[in-house]
Amino acid sequence: MDQSLIRNFCIIAHIDHGKSTLADRILQLTGAVSEREMRDQILDSMELERERGITIKAQAVRVAYTARDGRTYQLNLIDTPGHVDFSYEVSRSLAACEGALLVVDASQGIEAQTLANTYLAIESDLEIIPVLNKIDLPQADPELHGRAVADLIGEDPDGVLRISAKTGMGIPEVLEAIVARVPPPRGEPAAPARALIFDSVYDQYRGVVAFVRVVDGRLTAGDKLVAMQSGLAITADQIGVMSPAMVPVGALEAGETGYIVTGLKSVGDLRVGDTLTPATRRAAEALPGYREVKPMVFCGLFPVDSDDYPDLRDALEKLSLNDASLVWEPETSQALGFGFRCGFLGLLHMDIVRERLEREYDLELLATTPNVEYLVTDTAGREVVVRSPAELPPPNNVEAVHEPYVRCTVLVPNDHIGAVMELCQERRGKFVTMEPIEQRQQIVYDLPLAEIVMDFYDQLKSRTRGYASLDYELAGYRESPLVKLDVLLAGDPVDALSMIVHKDLAYPRGKALVERLQKTIPRQMFEVPIQAAVGGRVVARETVKARRKDVLAKCYGGDISRKRKLLERQKEGKKRMKQVGRIEVPQEAFLSVLTIGNGNGDGKGR
Amino acid sequence: MTPPVAAPTGGPDLHRPSRPRDAGAGEGSPARPAPVRHLYVHLPFCRARCGYCAFVVETGALHRRDAYLEALGAELGHEEHRLGVLDTVYLGGGTPTLMRPRRIARLLDGVAHRCAPDAEITIEANPETVDGRQLADLRAAGVTRLSLGAQSFQPALLRALDRGATPEQVRAAVRCARRAGFASLSMDLLFGVPGQTRAQLEADIAELEALGVDHVSWYELEIKPDTALARMGAEVPDEDWSADAYERVVAALEQAGYRWYETANFARPGHECRHSLAYWGAADYLGVGVGAVSTVGGRRWRNAPGVAQYVAALAAGDPPARGVEELDPDTRRRERWMLGLRLAEGLDMAWAGPADRPEALERLIAGGLARRDGDHLTLSRRGRMLQNAILGEVMEYA
Repeated sequence: MDQSLIRNFCIIAHIDHGKSTLADRILQLTGAVSEREMRDQILDSMELERERGITIKAQAVRVAYTARDGRTYQLNLIDTPGHVDFSYEVSRSLAACEGALLVVDASQGIEAQTLANTYLAIESDLEIIPVLNKIDLPQADPELHGRAVADLIGEDPDGVLRISAKTGMGIPEVLEAIVARVPPPRGEPAAPARALIFDSVYDQYRGVVAFVRVVDGRLTAGDKLVAMQSGLAITADQIGVMSPAMVPVGALEAGETGYIVTGLKSVGDLRVGDTLTPATRRAAEALPGYREVKPMVFCGLFPVDSDDYPDLRDALEKLSLNDASLVWEPETSQALGFGFRCGFLGLLHMDIVRERLEREYDLELLATTPNVEYLVTDTAGREVVVRSPAELPPPNNVEAVHEPYVRCTVLVPNDHIGAVMELCQERRGKFVTMEPIEQRQQIVYDLPLAEIVMDFYDQLKSRTRGYASLDYELAGYRESPLVKLDVLLAGDPVDALSMIVHKDLAYPRGKALVERLQKTIPRQMFEVPIQAAVGGRVVARETVKARRKDVLAKCYGGDISRKRKLLERQKEGKKRMKQVGRIEVPQEAFLSVLTIGNGNGDGKGR
Repeated sequence: MTPPVAAPTGGPDLHRPSRPRDAGAGEGSPARPAPVRHLYVHLPFCRARCGYCAFVVETGALHRRDAYLEALGAELGHEEHRLGVLDTVYLGGGTPTLMRPRRIARLLDGVAHRCAPDAEITIEANPETVDGRQLADLRAAGVTRLSLGAQSFQPALLRALDRGATPEQVRAAVRCARRAGFASLSMDLLFGVPGQTRAQLEADIAELEALGVDHVSWYELEIKPDTALARMGAEVPDEDWSADAYERVVAALEQAGYRWYETANFARPGHECRHSLAYWGAADYLGVGVGAVSTVGGRRWRNAPGVAQYVAALAAGDPPARGVEELDPDTRRRERWMLGLRLAEGLDMAWAGPADRPEALERLIAGGLARRDGDHLTLSRRGRMLQNAILGEVMEYA
């Protein structure tokens, strides 16, 4: 394919701003998908992605478009995830493109994440085509938001396209703009082949499938290839393109995107960001890769029924085949038995993994409170990585604790500035800057990641009536006076309920936590004291009162079977409880900590 | 002020009625079950359905009473071969007194030859449906025990429950029953009626004590699905309120000389309900009539509701429509625990069979909820208030 007829582009958009709908329209208009095949959000193939309306994995789809100049172009649309947890995936997609559609909801305007991704695109030297979507909505304000978008990328407001992906209005203009404004790829067709792996998935029949962008040269089916960074040798069993179904082709040329079937057994074997080159004619230099993705949030996952432990391990193994960012290792809890400590990119990633384990693998799971990764220096000068409260050495042995910070960008209308700043202060935030963007403010704070991991996002949304948007990126480790807060039920510490907190917050958090637990744990046969303690000193206490009455009022000859069945149902109810010593603890209790960031203990459930 | 808990082995003043019960855990599955000694007869007719009622009752069907009586006789004829000497007969409803004394007399005439000389023959009565003459006729027909459904003496609560009797009618019924020669009088009362105050509960307690009946069944109101109360969205009081009320009822009745011999039943010495004790002892019983349940030799069956269908089936010489449940040995063992632990005298584990989780039982004993003396297990006062939770701990229900 003549590179001058190729256009590689992606779409940058906030959740709900219409990225998937726009992608669907492009597929429809170019005839890649027939009306009959059309279903909404065709690119979001995983059940969960479709349900939540989010994109998790990047994908590339090739369509043919005959432009008004009479020539037929090959357009490669590289999908990008829209959630902050998956922002690293965005940079992968950007590296495979020459242009980006920046899609902004004409009624909502720019959101924090759009901002962050747009900066990434600008840094990657992409041609940005600004698009205002949903201009058919009565509350759309294309003037205001068009100006803001133009300002952001340093362009004339007249150059901002106005479309409605829902009705199809303006879509042909979008396709024309892609052809006219996105530069064609400029690889060396004759040079030794180099292909950037920008994503990979595990398919149970084909093994690992790598999505690649061929930069130079040509890849042919059957080629022996080498991954330049890892040195791993593979064979391109099949080469093809997504249109949007997988269609095998004989070769991929410089400038094109497509897929390679590798036959490998785990996505972990083939690093995203690596460069593939033919074994027989190796390129001299690898393409620039990506920074390695590290999990930021950790939690324990335990089967409610301990017999399910081997099944949980199998399920995690299977999920890992397709999700190299999910890490896990065995963990033993005195309270919860055998399980796994798992690492995730963020809370959404954690939720998604948990939901997939429960839904696709039919497991009933108990998740402990998520926490971040701490760096602890002990008194002997050793550095210890702490991923769970249980691993924190005793206070006497701790010299210093460092915790991860993030730089947080919040975009918010002017009348909610106070609420945002108040929340950031409560969460140990350090103010960085604030500057106006049209009628809103961009507020930047440095915050401990641990504070974000609690209900920060929920609080931000509720305190700004949904108007604030949030983005963050890791901003290094800082020393903090952190202590372990233990929870004791009936005098016995329950390791799965411990948390690491700032020492100044130990009292309010401990109080909120025991209050929350007191409301969550049902009355038992015996009184259950709940205590929060730091280093053996009790900082808060509540009591779950003992049950006083639990009888079947009457039982005669006609009732016996019915009463027996009541007892059977009572047992069913107990199944949702975890037996911790003598105490029955409901599953949600282990996540109580997530909702106490407010300090008042009655934050809404997750 | 409350008397000490009656220990299982008992003080000298402890009355221990002989307790009918099944053959126990060691029993095999005999080809021919032992003769049944307890008979229940369901008399479903009511003038109206009460707001809390989920029993099998029929309203507007009084014209079928004679045909129903005929059919009862036919069903008894089918089942006669199961019966031995009857120790107890219980006529329940519905409103059995709507059958009128002459029909009751005919019914009892049919079984009189099977009854032991000292058989307990109980009938349930709604106070507003009986007068002195009728009560005398019932007594003459062989009824030995009368169970009056009072439920409350508070007009507001009686209205909430749709009960037809006035407090004065309840008092009058007690006087008439005594005059008619009933030596064993029982009364049903409810607590936990939506809107009930502590003062109203105290007033009911005082009324009851003044009447001096021999036996009291004082239940906490259950709001069952498909009752008018449930449809109205009525809610039972919270656990602390009803625990207070329950404890108060127990204390007051014990103070007045009644023994708390079963979860919800209180009796003066010698007045325990022998028919109910058969149920709690997991003994076999035969039930006839619509909706009646029988348990004989490890098999339980329930007659279908519907007087018309019941009458038609028996007129055609067929047994009534029934649902049958086979009880395997584990189910029977768990039922013996469920029933036996309702009694103050507790449970003989050699008879009932072992607990599913003996270690849980040890924990409860250590926690003061139960006591064991050899094979004999009794619940403490607190334990009796938590019987369900205890069963859930020690037994493995399906």
